[in-house]
Amino acid sequence: MASAEARLPLFDIGRLVRRLGPLAVGIAICIAGIASSGFHKGFPAKWVLGGGVPNWFDRLDGWVTTNQSSNFFLNTIIGGFGNVLNSATNDLVNALHWLTWVGVLVLAVLVAWLVGRWKTAIFSAIMVSSFGILQIPNGGPNGISDMWQPAMTTLSLMAVAIVISTIIGIPLGIASAVWTPVRKTLRPVLDVMQILPAFAYLVPIVVLFSIGNPAGIVATVIYAVPPLVRFTEVGIRTVRRDVIEAGEAFGATRRQVLRDIQLPLAAQAIMLGLNQVIMMALSIVVIASLVGAGGLGDPVLQALQTQDLGMGAVAGLLIVFMAMWLDRTSAALGKRATRRAGSQKRLTRLQLSIVWGGLLAVVLVAHYGLNLGDWPSGWGFSIVDQVTNAMNWVTTQLTHVSESLSSFLTLHVLNPLQSFLNDFPWWLLAALVGVAAWARGGPRRAVLLVGCVALMGLMQAPVGYTFQGTTSYDFSAWGDAMQTLSLVIVALALDLVIGIPLGIAAYRWRAADAVLRPILDFLQTLPAFVYLIPVVALFGVGNLAGVTASFVYALPAAVRATTLGLRAVQREVIEAGQSFGSTRWQLLLKIELPIARPYITLAVNQTILLVMAEVVVAGLVGAGGLGLDVVTGFSRSEVGLGAAAGLTMVLMGIVLDRLSQTRQLEGGQG
Amino acid sequence: MRDQRRNVRLPKGRRRIAGVAVLLAVIAVAAAAIAATAGGASARTNGKPTITLATNSWEGSLANNVVAQYVIQKYLGYKVNLVTIDEIPAWTAMAQGKMSAVLEEWGHSSQYSQYIKKGHQVSDAGLEGPNGNIGWYVPTYLMKKHPELKNWKGVKKDWKLFVTPQSSPQGQFLDGSPSYVTNDQALVKNLKINLKVIFAGTEAAQLTEIESDYKQKKPVIFYWYTPQYQNRIYKFSQVALPPWTKACAKLKPVAINCAYPPYHLYKVMASTLPKTAPPVAKFLRRFSWTSDDQNSVAYDLAVKHMSNGQAAAAFAASHKSLIKSWLNSKTPYTKVSPPPPGT
Repeated sequence: MASAEARLPLFDIGRLVRRLGPLAVGIAICIAGIASSGFHKGFPAKWVLGGGVPNWFDRLDGWVTTNQSSNFFLNTIIGGFGNVLNSATNDLVNALHWLTWVGVLVLAVLVAWLVGRWKTAIFSAIMVSSFGILQIPNGGPNGISDMWQPAMTTLSLMAVAIVISTIIGIPLGIASAVWTPVRKTLRPVLDVMQILPAFAYLVPIVVLFSIGNPAGIVATVIYAVPPLVRFTEVGIRTVRRDVIEAGEAFGATRRQVLRDIQLPLAAQAIMLGLNQVIMMALSIVVIASLVGAGGLGDPVLQALQTQDLGMGAVAGLLIVFMAMWLDRTSAALGKRATRRAGSQKRLTRLQLSIVWGGLLAVVLVAHYGLNLGDWPSGWGFSIVDQVTNAMNWVTTQLTHVSESLSSFLTLHVLNPLQSFLNDFPWWLLAALVGVAAWARGGPRRAVLLVGCVALMGLMQAPVGYTFQGTTSYDFSAWGDAMQTLSLVIVALALDLVIGIPLGIAAYRWRAADAVLRPILDFLQTLPAFVYLIPVVALFGVGNLAGVTASFVYALPAAVRATTLGLRAVQREVIEAGQSFGSTRWQLLLKIELPIARPYITLAVNQTILLVMAEVVVAGLVGAGGLGLDVVTGFSRSEVGLGAAAGLTMVLMGIVLDRLSQTRQLEGGQG
Repeated sequence: MRDQRRNVRLPKGRRRIAGVAVLLAVIAVAAAAIAATAGGASARTNGKPTITLATNSWEGSLANNVVAQYVIQKYLGYKVNLVTIDEIPAWTAMAQGKMSAVLEEWGHSSQYSQYIKKGHQVSDAGLEGPNGNIGWYVPTYLMKKHPELKNWKGVKKDWKLFVTPQSSPQGQFLDGSPSYVTNDQALVKNLKINLKVIFAGTEAAQLTEIESDYKQKKPVIFYWYTPQYQNRIYKFSQVALPPWTKACAKLKPVAINCAYPPYHLYKVMASTLPKTAPPVAKFLRRFSWTSDDQNSVAYDLAVKHMSNGQAAAAFAASHKSLIKSWLNSKTPYTKVSPPPPGT
């Protein structure tokens, strides 16, 4: 709406100055730069922050390792917290075992039925049963093939992680909605939490919490909590002024306004945030397995080890099923929290007690009467071999096409882009970023982003620095960052080119929406580790394999945000267009899309963040860049390398994020 | 206005949800309390602590653990858990007493000195038996076609064979997981070979790439090692690098210009293990077998899809005297000396 107005005056002097100012400064910098230093390549290798950033982190790591048992903070506080997390998880695992499989199933169905509809309940029943029915030979702990027990372990880990996220996330969200300084401090912290790849902080977490449940939970919380903070904050801040003023007019204190007006009205946003926490947490189940937390991530990693396509796919499917089950149940709970009282299912106190009493009776009979435990082994089967054969068949059929596609794209798109970016003078890039940032968000943003670009280059290690390990590894943050940037650009372009039309299709045609929904759900929660091997089998080790992983992960966001934006266009506007005789396509192109533009900008922004979050996976399929640096840092326990590469990624993410955000968006919707 | 206010608070719906939440919490707490009293002892079976063995990311590591698990559970009566974990975190976990042992270590001299020599939190559990051999390999069909590849000088001459879209205009040298011991970036640079080292990032991705080249009989040169069960499926030939010398071993990692040293694979365990589970510690010190033994168990697991128990039982059935010697405390064992190679 604002954009439509802004386009009207052709010669807006203030606007012209705003655009020209930064441009003039940018051109001046470029001319001065070329005149003084020529067209230099890349980033100077000698420019290193004192001793090198990786060095600092290595020293910090050394200090923590040597002082672990003597330092009060490390030993008592951190260690004690770890113990609490560990025993909570173990208690939950034991509790689920005690409930028996019948109890868990009935409980899941009852909760789904109480908060939602029959459909939700039946869906939950199917999803929960799948943990028992779909077996994976040799997939469980100690080589068992029943997946019930690993599923319950993952469920317990997720439950603890989600509870901790709620305890941390909602108060932080409230605090940042109420106090601006808190919001300003939290914003970069949340950015770092969301963009810094989990691989970069796994080693410090293991050093602090040792391996197992606590490490897995802490890693999950770090990754999953930001959306809850953001949704809570936005939910509270977007409560309409007039409602708040009405409350104030009746003499409500600030506290009362917050508690009785803002928080209840923000309930839907908070539930949406919680829903996001669940989805994000489930998307890093495999990462938790890397630090020994066990659960459904283990068979995924094991499948990777033996290149067992079917095993990975089935294990990934179980993770997706758990995500869908929890997603549907929590979404129903979210709807219920905001729905009018009249339309709700009403159970009297007596009926409720009967329901819960019935559950208790079922559990007691199952446990003591029938001596049940985990899902019986006989009641399941394995489809691993069939899936393997099917996937092999598909891969073989496609190899010919995919290999030529891969070599074409690598040779003619990715490699040239990469060498172009690599040879591009760093100061010219910084100047361009500065100009764009100035035009988008004013001089302060320009200074921030230019600083980020310069810092990216300075992150590198001194030449010849070999980290703690026993073998050499080349690390230059700038070159690797440019390589990663080329992957991000291509993945992002593919996501937008494919995602936005799909989003429009889902908006226009109900059938397209119905077909896309489960596919997008699937793509969003399927762990990337599952499709690493098929992607390599199709495209070969290298850049395109890396691009594919990021592309797949971020596609759902691009599609969904586009559809949401179009749906937000008000009916009256569309009807006005129709009354002037616009055709459906005219309507879409001339009215709906322009009005939905801020949302589509938001879609671009979200897609960038998700592409950044997943680009680390590119390091696992041979595309190198910062992803490989981060993975190397983790797997060789080189904290300095992992941290420096991770921070470079964060800086890059911040630059891309701030460039894609306009001022209106930042202030208004989140 | 009072009405509007009540509307805002949505009292009924919220109360019911609160009710559901409280009930769930009560059930969870009750169940947890019952489970805690019953489960408190679950970390120990018959007063014996549970043994945890680290399974690293290569199949041979699992093969070791499966057989050790079988023997410990069957003959010594301790419960054994296998925990999937990366190599370095496993050292940290052993130092903290949360992991009992690792049965196959390659190199890791800095961890060896940090945790065994200086910290004493981890103890040397002797040699595993197989000698690890890391090096440059090509498929045997390629070696037959280009016999000069048996030496690094041939690779230097033939680099054009290995050009791929990813590495172009240079040739491609395919490395695997960055967690494995590699000097390839330094070797390529110092031997002035026109190859670009591409890390596949995971061994699985590396092997998938090699497999697809193998099927199409394409040229490929890569980092590989023995013992490895895949060597039973594919025929690979080693490329000779300049021989390893003591002088070369003293060079900084970035200056290395010779072959990988021979690795005497070794075992390590938490220093607390000999006190908490003496028979297990005695057995782990004596556990030792050959590359072929390990490859055959790994093959049964990964290719024949046997379960852990089946594969171990099959091995045990055909190696009765070997298992007896592991359990005999008079059997001598070799400590790791000198310490593992590496700078």
